[in-house]
Formats: sequence, structure tokens, C-alpha cells
Amino acid sequence: MELEARRRRRLSTALKVGIAIVVVGIVIFGDAIAPYGYEKQVRNEPNAPASSIHFRDAEGNIHLRPFVYRRQLVDRLGYGYEEMSDRAYPLSMLVRGDEYSLIGLFSSDIHIFGTEDPEVRITLLGTDQLGRDRFSRLVIALRFSLIVCLVGTLLASLIGIIVGMISGFSGRLVDSALMGITDSVMALPTLILILAARAAFPLELPPFRAATLLIMIFALAGWAEMARLARGLVRATREQDYVAAAKGVGTSEPMILFRHIFPNIAPALITQATIMLPYFLLSEVALSFLGVGLQEPVPSLGNMLAAASDLGQLQQHPFLLLSPAVVIFIFVLFVRLISANFQRSGRGSQLV
Amino acid sequence: MNRFARIRPSYNVISFVIRKLVQGIFMFAAVSAISFALLANAGGDAFTALRDNPQVSDATIERLRETYGLDKPVTTRYFKWLTSFVTGDMGESIHFKVPVGGLVLSKLFYTALLGSAALLIAWTIALILAFLNALYKNRTLSRFIELLILMTASMPRIALSLFALAFFVWSSQSAFAVQSGSGISFAISAFVLAVPLIALFLAQSNSELTAAMNEDFVKLARSKGLSESTVIVRHASRAALNPLLTIFGLSLGGIIGGTVIVETILGWQGLGAMTVTAIRVRDVPLVMGIVVVTTVAVWLGNALAEILQMLNDPRLRDEIAS
Repeated sequence: MELEARRRRRLSTALKVGIAIVVVGIVIFGDAIAPYGYEKQVRNEPNAPASSIHFRDAEGNIHLRPFVYRRQLVDRLGYGYEEMSDRAYPLSMLVRGDEYSLIGLFSSDIHIFGTEDPEVRITLLGTDQLGRDRFSRLVIALRFSLIVCLVGTLLASLIGIIVGMISGFSGRLVDSALMGITDSVMALPTLILILAARAAFPLELPPFRAATLLIMIFALAGWAEMARLARGLVRATREQDYVAAAKGVGTSEPMILFRHIFPNIAPALITQATIMLPYFLLSEVALSFLGVGLQEPVPSLGNMLAAASDLGQLQQHPFLLLSPAVVIFIFVLFVRLISANFQRSGRGSQLV
Repeated sequence: MNRFARIRPSYNVISFVIRKLVQGIFMFAAVSAISFALLANAGGDAFTALRDNPQVSDATIERLRETYGLDKPVTTRYFKWLTSFVTGDMGESIHFKVPVGGLVLSKLFYTALLGSAALLIAWTIALILAFLNALYKNRTLSRFIELLILMTASMPRIALSLFALAFFVWSSQSAFAVQSGSGISFAISAFVLAVPLIALFLAQSNSELTAAMNEDFVKLARSKGLSESTVIVRHASRAALNPLLTIFGLSLGGIIGGTVIVETILGWQGLGAMTVTAIRVRDVPLVMGIVVVTTVAVWLGNALAEILQMLNDPRLRDEIAS
């Protein structure tokens, strides 16, 4: 029992560290992970399937280094491609390619993997109808979504915690007024309101402003549950002996709040934040999918999924077109695993 | 003895109803005023796009804006909207050219149909599994429930509806075709809408029922010699019902939001799909109508859930107003 608990804890730590590395890696090195620029169009390679990676060449020799073949569009209407096995193009690590700027500071053109010849591309998830590499776009889209949902969660948590703490510490009048507002916000049809609020701004916005706007809207719509939780926790913790002791020795109220109450309720608040995270991601996806979030040519998980409305392509390559949906599923699954783990390890909300 | 005979409209119930009404009025006022102000200051109205049309003169646009009252200040327009709303008139949709009230309500009916089907599916699955788990206390079953909760909680509606769409497209070339608006399409849409709810309801009903099984009154019922399934259905489940009603009330807003995605992708012509159209064409009266009607509908559902809780649990009737 003891052993299993320890193994589980170690596994969950590994999971959290692993996800943190992946998230930070994508946020910082997204452009380098993507083999091509997300805007780069290749007009003679529209709607191409995923490149097949070979180890065995046409003569039957086995190579240790994987390679791809050149492709040619043979059927312009049905987007049929044929591989030209006359020459192998080996894959390499750290190749030079499209320029990008790393976290907006210094520019680089080194990509973690790719082919040496820019004419023959490796498209892990195929290309879209403008011939842009879908894998590269997916990485950049994921980065955008991650930034929006992380910052949004942070901001919403902050608002929620502040409102909750004020409510938990004030007298009956302020408390019931604030909680009345909180309950009303919780009962609102959030997505409809987010859509309506989004409609109040021009539909086409540059990516940075769109991101800022989305974050603001999410924060204003999503703080209520955090406020409820924080208030409940503050109320319960206030009754604890150590708070009474602190009060007894004459500690000031704000000091009690930040030195004694906050550290004790922080884990539960973090759990709640991990529960909120997927909602923000999904709201961003929904808005971009409906065409009121991030706009083309900048990729987002939502506007990439909108390509699935091309039913002919959906029929031919359902999994390539829906790869953003798979990424969303995996991301949400891992976040849920983490928050379930937080709750099980007893650091979740025991007090309410 | 009739269980409902005990219920009388006590002082607490009345004060609860009054409080709910006040809350509803405040919500309505705040939501309608804020959305109206936001939408009025939006980067353009329904006629902005006409400016690019060389065949429409500026004078025509001004006349159109005057017809719809768009040239007046925001506060005047809001109070005009409010007074006509009270008389049941929400104006005319600029895009669809029909009264907003009737349009929104008729679409709300279709969305409510879809939502009720989804709720039915989710409740059925959640309650059956929770009941079986309480009855048999089987390790494999509870593991399965845990896994199901995790999977359904992680399966976003947008991903699921797109996979369903891919299935539609795939089926359209195979033996049986799925047509949008048909029975199968409705069933699939309702199921997609239900999936995240299954996680919510199942997690809650499972833990509530498990907790209720250790309560004293359940032990008493058991010691009276009642069969285990009777104990669960008659005694434990009644205690477990209230948190479920809370969850139900809170999930209504999410269901309405979920229909936006599901209806848009799978082609069910309800309120969700119309919301997207209304926003794309910047039909302000229609957007206002949708916002207000959904807010009121969700508030009504919430109030209903709380009233049901009070009916179910006699303890609450005395507690809730304190």
C-alpha cells in the first residue's frame, strides 16, 4: 500500500514535470520545433497527405537514417500525389530553413528537424489547401492557445481569489452582495455571452489584440467559481485554532490573511485553476472555430479545425484534418489527470 | 401518507422565492444593459458593410439607420428597447426580417429538445452506473467508472462533434447515409452534447451515493430488513439527489453554450447555430434577444432546480433562508 502510494506519487511528479517541459518547450521553441514557417505557402503542394518516412529504398537497401521522397501532384482535382522514388532526401536534425524570431528577441533559422533540400518537404500531417505544412501550423497554434489559456486562467484566478477573500473576510452585507453577484455570474450562459461580447469588437483583429481581448473576456466570464471556492476556504480557515492564536497575539487582519490563511488554502486554489484551464482552452478553440477568435493566416487550434468544413478533404484525410482535435483531447486529458491527482493526494479542497 | 402533504409554503420558501426574483431582475438588468452598451459601441452595425457597396448611397444608409433607430444615443435606445421588451416586443431581426421574440423562442424550442435529450442520456448513464456501483461495490466496475469519468471529461464537444461529422461524411458514401435533421443525426448530436455531462453527473452521483450509503438512516433502513436495492433507491438516492440538482442547475449554462458548437457543426437548426449567424452578420436586436432569452431561461432552470431541492429535502426549507 505504502509502496504503491509512493510509486503513484513518483509517477505523478514525472507526469507534471513532463507536461511542464512540453508546455514550456512549445511556448519558447515552437518556431524551432515547427520545420517550416506557418505562413509559408507552397502552391504546387495543396492538400497533400502526410509524407511517408522510409527506411528502405527502391532497391531494397535498408538505411539507418530515415528519408522521404519527392512528391508530385498528378491529379489536380482530386489532389492525388505520386512519390518519385528516383532520389532519397534524408532527414536531418538542426537544419537551416525559414527565419523566425525566438521569443521576439533574436532571430534564427535553425529548425530541430527537417530535410536539407527546402524544395522537398517533410509534412508530418500533410498540407492544407494553400500548401502550408499542417504540423508546423499545429505547433504554432498550440503555442497560441497555451499562452491564451494560461494567462486567462491566471487572471481569472486572481480576480476570483481577490473577490473570494474580500467576501470571506467581510461582514454579512458585503459578503451576500458579492456572493449574489458571483452566483449570478456562475449561472450565466457563458459561451453565449462570450460570443456576444466578442461581437462587440471588430471581427478581424491582429493576433496580439485578439489574444488580449480573448484573455480579458475569459477572465471576466470565468472568475466566479474561483471566488466561491476562495470564500468558502477563507470562511473555514478563519475558524481554525492557529488563526485564533495569531489573532490572539495581535497580528493584523491582512497579515493573518497572507501569512496564515493564504498558504493553507493555496493548494486547493491551484487545483481549481487546473480545473479551469481546459475551459479557457476550449473557449478559445470554439471562438476561433466560429471565426471570431484568431484569424487566418495566424493558425489557432480552432481555425485549423474550421478546415474540416471542407467535407471532401474530411472524407479523404479525416485524421489529418482533425489532428488539432486530437491534440486538444490529449491536452485536456493530461490536465484532468493532473487535477485528479491533486485532488486525490489530499491537497485538494478538503475544507469545503 | 402523501409525502407532499408535509410541504407548506412556509415563510422561508416565500422569502427564498422573493430573493430569487430579485436576483433574476438584477441579472436581467445587468446583462441586458451591459450587452446593449457593448453592442451599441461595436465597431459597426448591420449597415456598416453597405458602405462598401457603390450602389447604396450614404443617404440610403442614413435613412436605414434612422428607420431602425440607430442614430439615437445609446441610453435612449436602451430604454426604448427595455420598454418594448416589457410589452413582449424585442424588435425585428435585421438579417431575418422577422420579430426577434418569436424567432428566438421557436429556435429555443429546438435547442431545448436537443438539451433535454442530452440530459436524459447523461442522467440515465450516470444513475445506472452509480446505482450498480453502490449495489455491487465491485472493484472493476468502480475502476471503469473512474476511467469513464476521465475520458468523458476530457472529450471536448468540439472534437467529438467533428469526429461525428467525419463519421457522417464517411457514412454518406457507404450503405447508410446520415442526413442532417434526421433522427440519427439528432441522436448523435444529443449524444455529443451529453458526453461532458456524463462525467459531471457520474462523478457527482457516484460519490454522493457512496457517501450516503454510510449514513445512519441508510443503516437503519438496512436493519429494518429492506433489500439492498430498495435501500439505495428509496433512502440513499433521495439523500444523494440534492447535490445532483445543484449540478443540474449549474450545468444549464454550459449546455446552452455547448449547443453553439454542436449545432453549428452537426447542422441542428437551433438557437446555438442561430447565435453564430447573428454575430457574424452583426444583427444587434437578434443578439440582444438571444442573450436575454438564454439568460432568463438558464435562471429559470436554476430557480427550478433549487425549488426541487427544497421539495426533496425538508431540512433545506428551514435552512436555506437563514
